[in-house]
Amino acid sequence: MARYAMLIDLAACVGCAACAAACVLENEAPPGHNRLWIRQRELGAFPDVTVEYRPEQCLHCEHPPCVPVCPTGASHQTEDGLVLVRAERCIACAACIAACPYDARFMNPAGYVDKCTFCEHRVARGEDPACVETCPTGCRVFGDLDDPESPLHAWLTEAKRVDVLRPEMGTAPKLLYLNTPSKRGLANHESEVES
Amino acid sequence: MTTFYGLPGAEAFWHWTTLVHFLLVALAGGTAFYTAVLGIRRSESARGLAWLALAFIVLDLFMLWAESPARFRFSHVWLFLSFEPASAIWWGAWGLATSALMLLLLALGLGPARFWAGVLALSSAVVLAYPGYALAANAARPLWDHLLLAFFPASGLLLALAVLVWLRPAEEAAPWLQVAALASLALAALYPVALASGGADARLAFALWLRGWGWFLLGGLLLFLAAFLARRVPALAGVCALAGAFVLRSWIVEQGQHSLFVHGF
Amino acid sequence: MKLDRRRFLGLSAASVGAVAFGGRAAALQAPWAVPRKWYDGEVRTVFSYCENCFWKCGITVKVEGGRVRKIDGQKQNPKSRGRLCPRGQAGVAQLYDPDRLKRPLIRVDGSERGEGKYREASWEEALDYVAERMLKIKEQYGPEAVAWFGHGSGDSWFVEYLPAAWGSPNAAKPAVSICTAPRETASQWTFGRPIGGHEPVDWTESRYIVLIGHHIGEDTHNTQLQDFSEALRRGAELVVVDPRFSTAASKAHRWLPIKPGTDLALLLAWIHVLIKENLYDRDYVQKYAVGFEELAVHSNKHTPEWAEEITEIPAETIRTVAREMAAAAPRAVLPPGRHTVWYGDDTQRMRAVYILNALLGNYGMPGGFYLAKKPYLEKYPHPPFPLEPAAGGCSGSSGGEEEVPEGFKPRADKGKFFAKTTAIQELIEPMLSGEPYPIRGLVCYGTNLFHSIPNVPRTKEALKKLDLYVAIDVLPMEHVMWADVILPECTYLERYDDLVAIAHKTPFVELRQPAVEPLWDTKPGWWIARELGLRLGLEKYFPWKDVEEYLDTRLQLIGSSLEEMKQKGTLIQRGRPYLKDWERRRRNPFGTPSGKIELYSKTFAEHGLDPLPDYTPPMPVPQGFYRLLYGRTPVHSFAKTQNNWVLMELKPENEVWINREEGRSLGLRHAEYVWLENDAGVREGPVRVRLTERIRRDCVYLVHGFGHKGRGVRLAYGRGASDNALQTRYVLDPISGGAALRNNFVKVVKGAPRPQRKRIGQLVRERRL
Ligand SMILES: Nc1nc2c(c(=O)[nH]1)N[C@H]1C(S)=C(S)[C@@H](COP(=O)(O)OP(=O)(O)OC[C@H]3O[C@@H](n4cnc5c(=O)[nH]c(N)nc54)[C@H](O)[C@@H]3O)O[C@H]1N2
Ligand SMILES: Nc1nc2c(c(=O)[nH]1)N[C@H]1C(S)=C(S)[C@@H](COP(=O)(O)OP(=O)(O)OC[C@H]3O[C@@H](n4cnc5c(=O)[nH]c(N)nc54)[C@H](O)[C@@H]3O)O[C@H]1N2
Ligand code: SF4
Ligand code: SF4
Ligand code: SF4
Ligand code: SF4
Ligand code: SF4
Ligand SMILES: [Mo]
Repeated sequence: MARYAMLIDLAACVGCAACAAACVLENEAPPGHNRLWIRQRELGAFPDVTVEYRPEQCLHCEHPPCVPVCPTGASHQTEDGLVLVRAERCIACAACIAACPYDARFMNPAGYVDKCTFCEHRVARGEDPACVETCPTGCRVFGDLDDPESPLHAWLTEAKRVDVLRPEMGTAPKLLYLNTPSKRGLANHESEVES
Repeated sequence: MTTFYGLPGAEAFWHWTTLVHFLLVALAGGTAFYTAVLGIRRSESARGLAWLALAFIVLDLFMLWAESPARFRFSHVWLFLSFEPASAIWWGAWGLATSALMLLLLALGLGPARFWAGVLALSSAVVLAYPGYALAANAARPLWDHLLLAFFPASGLLLALAVLVWLRPAEEAAPWLQVAALASLALAALYPVALASGGADARLAFALWLRGWGWFLLGGLLLFLAAFLARRVPALAGVCALAGAFVLRSWIVEQGQHSLFVHGF
Repeated sequence: MKLDRRRFLGLSAASVGAVAFGGRAAALQAPWAVPRKWYDGEVRTVFSYCENCFWKCGITVKVEGGRVRKIDGQKQNPKSRGRLCPRGQAGVAQLYDPDRLKRPLIRVDGSERGEGKYREASWEEALDYVAERMLKIKEQYGPEAVAWFGHGSGDSWFVEYLPAAWGSPNAAKPAVSICTAPRETASQWTFGRPIGGHEPVDWTESRYIVLIGHHIGEDTHNTQLQDFSEALRRGAELVVVDPRFSTAASKAHRWLPIKPGTDLALLLAWIHVLIKENLYDRDYVQKYAVGFEELAVHSNKHTPEWAEEITEIPAETIRTVAREMAAAAPRAVLPPGRHTVWYGDDTQRMRAVYILNALLGNYGMPGGFYLAKKPYLEKYPHPPFPLEPAAGGCSGSSGGEEEVPEGFKPRADKGKFFAKTTAIQELIEPMLSGEPYPIRGLVCYGTNLFHSIPNVPRTKEALKKLDLYVAIDVLPMEHVMWADVILPECTYLERYDDLVAIAHKTPFVELRQPAVEPLWDTKPGWWIARELGLRLGLEKYFPWKDVEEYLDTRLQLIGSSLEEMKQKGTLIQRGRPYLKDWERRRRNPFGTPSGKIELYSKTFAEHGLDPLPDYTPPMPVPQGFYRLLYGRTPVHSFAKTQNNWVLMELKPENEVWINREEGRSLGLRHAEYVWLENDAGVREGPVRVRLTERIRRDCVYLVHGFGHKGRGVRLAYGRGASDNALQTRYVLDPISGGAALRNNFVKVVKGAPRPQRKRIGQLVRERRL
């Protein structure tokens, strides 16, 4: 049994979206939907400005609100802590989409709910997820929180702080961010939005 | 300023068909519940109403099936092959199935009618309640407040009563209509207050509500009219109730699903 | 006729099957099943290299059920090291793009170029047509009257092999005079070595990095991005000089928002501080460089205060950065950048960059520049060509004089600038004017005439005048649909190309091989070149029957074989990256006339060029206009990936970046659509406004590559604005022949309509039907 988690060092991420493209092809994400996307936020004002690139995907929450709402058990959590969908069981009711605080799920036109699987099929073969493998800056690390040998540990022990998305949701995410610019005091207000 | 490469799954996941479902399931649950009450009271009209309630259930299920992207995968059997008591929809599926069975037995006049009516009272209450539960369970969507646990059953019953007052055998429904309309109205009035005093997302939720306050005014007005006219012009009251409750429920369902995450955080 | 039609129908039926999305036999599945994923099937892997930009990363192609499913980085390859950028990942979508060119096309008689009226033809007919007209041009005007443009790794056949065999010196690549020419020429005359296709910056060993422009992170040359990130992880300090807050700037310790076009002043001031404060590496300069005295005198006037006036960067900051780099030297480096054709003084700016590096003593030292070496590889033993290939390349020779063999004319751009390579944009003029001699034919292989070469109106006029214009491409790009004959090449995943030899820390040779059979009636470049060569009477240069024989012969000559390469993908050799490695062998890496690093260039002086770089102001911005700057987005390559659905979903259009305050003063709203109009009155757009804090007020910024006008590329068509359309002016760099593009000025015209374009996902689904 493992407790799989992924870590992204935002100090290194350049928002190149190689991870997103790799995911589309590895997992055959249908046109119009993404399991993984990059958010860019502009922070501060000229010339004290910065930009935060933040890749987002399913966080494989330890307390996933998307699981209990599922009426068929299609949406479930594995022993290794992965949150997955058994497509054959899914009735496409979208209750889990509603429950996810992170917009990580979408309706696959093939008639089931789809989302990041942490590439369980690759992990099962002992490989890294596709997004991790391809990331040119090497800012993504995948591993087992319960395994002290896992490369995650070195990163986490050195980290000054670790951020997760919307901690107030109480989901205990396993997608962890290091060096979040908006949290580093580099710049703390988002450039005004006008649209 | 926020931009994206690719997009999160932030699109609306429920469409107009879902809004119709929220209407049909209310009509089904409400009529079934009213049938159960009549059945317990051994009223003559119960048998006729049972057919109507059954029709609503069948219509609702057919629509759910027809609009489902999974319709030809027959995965819906899994609703009955798994035990998921934390899921509102699971309860809804059992509620609808049980209600349908009871209604059929009642309509055909088979077996102990009063007992069936008792069971139906429970199962139809589940049908009335589960949509509100399905919404309120989502901590992630601030518009779907816990108050909806009460508002959806109340307005659901109201919708059914609105239809029932048009039918001669259910003329006695008018006083019920007045009560249900007043209850729904009170809950609708409380709704923005509940939003504004909610948790971390309170400000956002209230701001969102402010965008739709016109709909609330309209819906509230219609509910008030329904209550006011219920005993005088029941048919007109029914129209007002139907329109008012539908507007409010649909707005909440429709607006509540839009992602906040994509804009903020 | 009948037969042809039948064959055509048969082909298209087959191809529909082949490209149908998710082409698995869905009908055979049980209704409750969900589609099986490709990775559950039988997966075959093929080694090759990527063609989505010109960096040439080694790839591992995964094929299942006769289809390419996924492309990964080749683990053993020094360029990719198992990783790929987004464009490399998305290559599959180019292969299965239903908009691809499918069979040879000949322009309908009586139609104009640009009207886009074509009929289908067999390869026989199309090649005969081309050969016949080429021979006619040769007869009438001589072989030099056919120009050859090419880009991409398949271009070797069309700007080197064929033109040299045919006898035309007018062969050119956009990657030279619209990209690297200044930095290559400067490097040649400072270090006597090229920079080459793979910048030999020793990133990971460096402790202090200064990027001038060079927007790594948006410029996603894979290995470079990997090394850059690793350097930062190891604690290197980073300074970014850029009028725009680039992605790289967001990783930097200092961002210097320089006034556009004034970098040379900043560089000269840094030279000044290093010399005046005695911070330069005296031993290194003494041992390896000449011309220091002249430089020291020359730099007296370039005080930081002088530079502050020009660059708008505080003198104190200039001093501090100079001191910091000196403190980190020799592990401090100013990388050359790649796209260096900016303002017209570019070779001189690059000279200043190299002089600074030399003063820091980093050339040939860990943490500075390593000495890249070409791998050992033999040419195919064909009879010698009458001409030397003339296009040059990123790593091509940039020397001065060139000898023209008996009976041949010099290049048509000769005399306009100093360097030896061909300037592609200068070959357009003779098509119009006939001076110095006429160019009547053009063979264009994978070069985006309307997106890569400035002054599009002129290009269009020139094309109209030609006797023959042949396009060899994979997509019906706008410029392709002007050709007389269109020859559809198959994509890089369906073909062999010539071997590539990469000069690197560890030099290596890479193989491209097909992962699947070509779709439709498309053919590989080598086949097209050979068939054309045979028809042009150049049989003796094509002693090989097919490319496998050609490749195997070349590989046998270095003790390998095609079989071995297919298994290995990459053949890595040993390098000699540092000066000490050369000194141990008593070899001198510096190929300059003096055999040393030339801070002062005697050769330049002899040719009437400034022997030491000096500042000249860029063209001033007219009142009411903004300087148009441009660059890359990480998810696209130039103007060639905007029909790739995977990439287009990530970034479907470009925006014009405008400083927020400035935009407000113009009354602009974020995300509204506007036109851009340049000072010659050319209008482009509509394009979305991006009001941002990330740019100075005196310039606007566009990502290059959008604004496609060819209707055949259905995803790309009509989205965003083309920088190239607005670049109707360029300044010729008199030394390198580079076309400096940042001398165009635009104003914002409000009230453009929002383009009514479908979402990419929807178009993709529709297109497959
Ligand atoms: N994703 C992706 N990556 C690519 C490519 C691609 O198409 N897509 N193309 C590849 C190729 S062939 C090339 S040549 C490179 C090009 O990439 P680079 O060599 O990095 O190009 P530059 O022109 O140096 O960089 C553009 C940057 O220069 C800034 N700039 C503009 N004017 C000035 C100025 O006056 N002074 C200074 N200091 N900066 C200025 C712009 O704001 C912008 O940030 O990218 C390569 N990498
Ligand atoms: N305005 C402006 N101009 C620029 C630049 C800029 O930033 N702005 N950048 C400059 C730089 S740095 C460079 S390196 C050049 C790049 O210049 P180009 O290489 O001309 O640029 P692309 O837009 O990539 O055009 C490639 C063409 O090759 C075709 N193609 C793609 N794959 C294949 C293939 O496998 N076989 C064949 N036969 N054709 C293929 C594409 O369809 C397209 O027509 O542009 C330069 N020009
Ligand atoms: S591939 Fe890596 S660097 Fe690029 S966006 Fe993804 S996480 Fe960031
Ligand atoms: S991120 Fe969303 S989908 Fe993923 S586990 Fe958490 S709640 Fe579920
Ligand atoms: S959509 Fe599918 S996975 Fe999600 S809750 Fe419904 S049945 Fe479960
Ligand atoms: S782990 Fe796999 S499925 Fe998840 S985002 Fe990465 S590539 Fe996509
Ligand atoms: S940098 Fe990207 S597009 Fe260029 S060759 Fe490498 S993987 Fe391909
Ligand atoms: Mo380039």
